[in-house]
Amino acid sequence: MFAERNLRIAAVLLAVAGLAVATYIAIAESGGGAPKCIAGGGGCETVANSKYSDLAGVNVAVLGILGYVLLLASAAIPGDYGRFGGFLTGLIGFGFSAYLTYLELFVIDAICQWCVASAILMALSLAVAATRALAYGGRELAPPQIQSSHGR
Amino acid sequence: MEGRREERERLRAERAAAESQQAGALARKRRAQYLIIAGFAAVAAIVALIVISQSGGDDNGGGGSPSDVRGVAQVDSELSGIPQNGQVLGDANAPVTVAEFGDPQCPVCAAFSEQIAPELISSEVKSGSVKYEFRPYLIIGPESKPAMEAALAAGEQGRFWNYLQLFYRNQGEENSGYVTDAFLTSIASAAGVEDIDKWNQSRKSSNWESVLTNGTNEAESLGFNGTPSILVEGPNGQKALSGFQLSEIRSAIQQVG
Repeated sequence: MFAERNLRIAAVLLAVAGLAVATYIAIAESGGGAPKCIAGGGGCETVANSKYSDLAGVNVAVLGILGYVLLLASAAIPGDYGRFGGFLTGLIGFGFSAYLTYLELFVIDAICQWCVASAILMALSLAVAATRALAYGGRELAPPQIQSSHGR
Repeated sequence: MEGRREERERLRAERAAAESQQAGALARKRRAQYLIIAGFAAVAAIVALIVISQSGGDDNGGGGSPSDVRGVAQVDSELSGIPQNGQVLGDANAPVTVAEFGDPQCPVCAAFSEQIAPELISSEVKSGSVKYEFRPYLIIGPESKPAMEAALAAGEQGRFWNYLQLFYRNQGEENSGYVTDAFLTSIASAAGVEDIDKWNQSRKSSNWESVLTNGTNEAESLGFNGTPSILVEGPNGQKALSGFQLSEIRSAIQQVG
């Protein structure tokens, strides 16, 4: 069993890494640009310029930043608010990342390495958040144990 | 006295154990409830995000937004594996040339590009018996020139046809102001133009004046007065078509080839 403290530290590290990736994508895409694919190939430009890079006018990388900030906050918050908040955020982030990866593979026909990196970080964040919620969730929701003072 | 105290302590320990067990069971129950609620909430949120994502792009008709380049996958798939050299698509040694005189702003050219040209490209051009060449014949208006120059500059990086096909698929209303630098750049990125700076420099240069003038002069000398107009050239001469149906083009290929 992982100690909850270690799980929270892992969640913080993953969220910080994800935040860095999402921030880079958002900055690179601001003003009509695109992140630079390290391995070349133009996939990042194609993905950045596809119609799916925005969601109701908001760049999906900005949504990524929001997701990682929430994961960071949930890792910092002790107790069940942090545990289940992190789990919920991780689930949404992972589900949406999976959908975006599907779009890259089968609709846009281009892969952006930065988006893949973010999807992997989101999947790991979910794994950590789920472990924390499953192993430690619900504890302080139970009534406190009352030591009887009139035990006859 | 001793016996009663022991009995009290035993009862207390039993009660504590029972309470602890009850607390553990309650914690498990609550945990399961919260996990299920979180699961449903997450599914609902993901579905909402996907619905917004799917509907968002479709609302932007007419190729206005730089992040709304449609048809990238189809165009990439259509042109995949076919050599490009400037405005020429296909094997440079192909005996027959099908030349399309067109204007990037022309909606009929866009329809031709989506409905008729793919068949020609996937068979005759892909097999190497025909090369397909685009020659500019700009008749729609002032926004045709920057659009054409952008496509020609993309041709320097082997992406003319990707550019043109994507431009067609993202056309706006003729001369409505949609041919902006941002729009052209978004098409270039989606078309796979690697060096955007070089492309920008080239499209804004005066290099293309002669290409545009030659295209117009040739189209007029052939008696064309609309776009798209098709000229088929081969070892047995050339044939300027009055229409642009696939059957006419294929028949002309037979005649001149």
